[in-house]
Amino acid sequence: MWAAALAVAVLLALPAVLSGYAVTIFILIFFYAFLAQAWNVVGGYAGQLSAGHAAFVGVGGYTAALLFERGVTPWIGMFAGGALAAVLGAIIGYLGFRFGLRGFYFVLLTVAFAEICRILASNVEAVGGAVGLYITFTGNPRQFQFQDQRAYYYIALALMLLATGVTALIERRRFGIYLTAIREDETACEALGVDVLKYKLLAMIVSSFLAGLGGTFYAFQNFSLQPGAVFGIPLSVEIVIRPIIGGAGTLLGPILGSFILTPLGEVSRSYFGQSGLHGAHLIVYGVLLVAVVLFLPQGAYPYLRKLLSRRNIA
Amino acid sequence: MTSRLSRRTFLKTAVAGAAVVTTPVTLRAQAKTFKLGAVHPVTGPLAEPGQACRLGAQMAVEAVNAAGGIKSKGGVKLELVLGDTQTKTENGRVEAERVVTQGARMLMGSFDSGTTNGMVSVAQQRRVPFLVDIAAADQITANVAKSVAEGQQKVQYVYRNFPTGSSFGRKAVQYFGEIFAEAKVTPKRVVLMYCNDLFGQTQSRGFLAAYKAAKPAWTVLEDDVIAWPEPPSDLSTEVSRVKSLKPDVISPITRPASAQILLPEIRKQRLDILGIVGPGSPGFYEAGQIAILKDDVEYAMVSNPWANFKNPRTIQVAEEYKKRSNGKTFDTNSGYSYDAVHVIADVLERTASLDDPDAIVDAIKKTSFSSGLMQYAGPIHFNELGDNPNAVTTMTQILGQKPVAVWPREAALQKFVFPRPKA
Amino acid sequence: MAVGLTLIFGVMRVVNFAHGDMMVWGMYLAFVLATRAGLDPYLAFPVCAVALFALGVVVQRGLVDPIIEAPHEMQILLMLGVALVLENTALLIFGPEPARVRSPLARLAWEVGPLYVDVARLVTFAVAVVLTLALSLFLYRTDLGRLIRASADNHYGALVIGADVRRIYATAFGIGAACVGAAGALVSPILPFQPPTGLSLSVTSFNIVIIGGMGSLVGAFIGGLLVSVAESLGAVFLRPSLKELFSFSLLIVILLFRPAGLFGKRTP
Repeated sequence: MWAAALAVAVLLALPAVLSGYAVTIFILIFFYAFLAQAWNVVGGYAGQLSAGHAAFVGVGGYTAALLFERGVTPWIGMFAGGALAAVLGAIIGYLGFRFGLRGFYFVLLTVAFAEICRILASNVEAVGGAVGLYITFTGNPRQFQFQDQRAYYYIALALMLLATGVTALIERRRFGIYLTAIREDETACEALGVDVLKYKLLAMIVSSFLAGLGGTFYAFQNFSLQPGAVFGIPLSVEIVIRPIIGGAGTLLGPILGSFILTPLGEVSRSYFGQSGLHGAHLIVYGVLLVAVVLFLPQGAYPYLRKLLSRRNIA
Repeated sequence: MTSRLSRRTFLKTAVAGAAVVTTPVTLRAQAKTFKLGAVHPVTGPLAEPGQACRLGAQMAVEAVNAAGGIKSKGGVKLELVLGDTQTKTENGRVEAERVVTQGARMLMGSFDSGTTNGMVSVAQQRRVPFLVDIAAADQITANVAKSVAEGQQKVQYVYRNFPTGSSFGRKAVQYFGEIFAEAKVTPKRVVLMYCNDLFGQTQSRGFLAAYKAAKPAWTVLEDDVIAWPEPPSDLSTEVSRVKSLKPDVISPITRPASAQILLPEIRKQRLDILGIVGPGSPGFYEAGQIAILKDDVEYAMVSNPWANFKNPRTIQVAEEYKKRSNGKTFDTNSGYSYDAVHVIADVLERTASLDDPDAIVDAIKKTSFSSGLMQYAGPIHFNELGDNPNAVTTMTQILGQKPVAVWPREAALQKFVFPRPKA
Repeated sequence: MAVGLTLIFGVMRVVNFAHGDMMVWGMYLAFVLATRAGLDPYLAFPVCAVALFALGVVVQRGLVDPIIEAPHEMQILLMLGVALVLENTALLIFGPEPARVRSPLARLAWEVGPLYVDVARLVTFAVAVVLTLALSLFLYRTDLGRLIRASADNHYGALVIGADVRRIYATAFGIGAACVGAAGALVSPILPFQPPTGLSLSVTSFNIVIIGGMGSLVGAFIGGLLVSVAESLGAVFLRPSLKELFSFSLLIVILLFRPAGLFGKRTP
């Protein structure tokens, strides 16, 4: 508890001494940790691997941006986006769980839905089509835009803490225990009379709502939304790999994963991206990724805990 | 063994990472160079144009420095700080932040409109003048101009020396009409085809809007515009559909990969047409594309931003570019990035101070630059939106397996061949 | 091209992101053989298959084996790393321009009544049929093939009967990669490729495998046909840019009502 409070205090004070680029890196770390934590609720705790979480980010972002064009502030649009994302999450979840899709089949179902969202968004002119949406930069805080990059830092930090708080809450209640039980042995849970469908569906809704909130942040930080970027497989993958490397189904896993992966990507790009060898930095990143997996095959958080407990015993 | 090795690499990188994060901003007063951030997609799906942009910018910086740097400022040299977006939208803003933190006092980039709009926010937030070298979406500059007009932002830091989507369309419609008139034909069945991505849709919307506004004598089959998902794996169904429309002229908007599928398919299905005339896209003129497409691309026309090869300096630069890029054409992308650096050098010559972004913006607004290597309709200057109205396109045609400027007349090196000879 | 994937997936239960990038490497190998040695890709595909077999074995032995006991999701990450390395090494060596192998066959088209029959596609199709048959024979008629299927069905059972499971996995992964390599070479005159082409290839393959049925070669084959027919119909009757919608909708319907695919075995 003390360690967590200290960490938060440090993160709150940090922007005062960081360069603009470092602030941006932290924003990325927090934002992806937030999305990863959202994923963690359904993917980590409940063990229902979704590889289509980009769809929720996209729906959330598009909703907020389209409402903004019609004069609704993104501060409200954000929640409308989250709600719509939750509806989509409920539909995907209901179909998947009702028809009993497990493991890899569920992965594919989520991918297919995300791809359908992407194809529809690129073809429907009313939502911008393949050109996407461009948001006018005003720097007006009422429009979820800020002249100072550090404001985004605090919002991203708040989002990450929010998702972590929600997850911690879930973890401690019966809901969380059921979810873990479902992950470990769904058939046994059913036999014991747990309403498996209900709990899995709830986890999906919480998760997609949070990811939908993230969409607004994405839209109003990048100022453009393109179907390929927000509904695409690469974003879903970015969301999934963080909790996996950190330790899926653990509270700190997604955060640790984000603190490992984002800097790896940025460092390899700053150091190897300047040379004439185009692509060298992504080769380095790929090799580092493989190295991390081989080094931490159980995930970073379980590894850390093992390390710490070994110290305590000794 | 493996794990120890990876641990060491990992730690080393982590330490290096800590270093870059805490690197302080370069002290401006001491700089003997002027750092210019050039952000392009050098890896990922748009790596081909992105690498062309980067090389064009690098060559231009070398040229400026070899000629004595910024003379009015004591010969200050330009220094590029390079950024790679990896063709990911969110990296536009990240890379812009990074190059600015590493001391860049101006920005250029970034080919892809979505990424460019992300960079706009960095330019406006951190007051870094940004010259868009390539990106066609009208909103990029128009949105900032609107924000300034409404008083939400004080100064516009974003300018563009590239045709916008709508000016692409207007020029294409104009050239189509002039070429058809010159060839004494009035096609009644022009079929528009495009790749359904950000670029293809921007271009097709611009073209159709301009066509509707101009109401020319020739006609596009507006209800039968055919789009394909990019990248396609097969276009045989699409081409059969076009064939059933009995077209006179096919107007495709392609990417290089889709051009490689589309043009052979048009030949295979033996479409009887006057010719292929594109409203503006890559895929036809690149050396590599011609080498692969051979006869299939002969006589194809496309309206693109093009270098002015009547200028001996252009020929010289194009020769050097070819050598340094393993035989590539000095084209839209390399050319506009090359010109952007020269426009920036000209701005820096005239600015009252290199350290005051607002002084640089003042100099940008007063630009009237006529030594660009691309084909312009007049000197480069920036209108109330921040765009250069003289950035225009040229109709080129593949003749004898080489791209040649054929229209408008003042830019033409050869007479166009249209209708194309029957095979 | 989906044949390679079913084998990898059926045997390993690996969610293999590197599959598409391996295929792109098969294409580039065919490209190099064609431009440097003048070898037509329709003759060179066995060379590509052998090269990719070696790559597959190395990846399996060196990278997948050490983490075989780790949570299943870790393999996604591992393959993502491998995919990044493969894609960007191709970018470094071959550059970003789309490439295509020229083969005299690829320029021919026969006019049969109102239809155009693309000779190159016909040849590719024929070779795919032959490869599928050969693979089925191998899997069902040879000892090694039976062992591969046994290990896929039941990891521990195979261990119990004393099979060298690691070697079997390496062989299976290698064979999967070899199919991918051969497929890459075969489509290289039809389909332009760039280093980032891999991702869309992986997605299409997954699609085909699921629709046809996992672990079933015939299914993968039929799945491939179904997807292309669905997309063509979509392109004819609706907007061509929506054609991918059809294959993904088909995927969802199949997932919901016949999750094991049209020709897959039902697993509890």
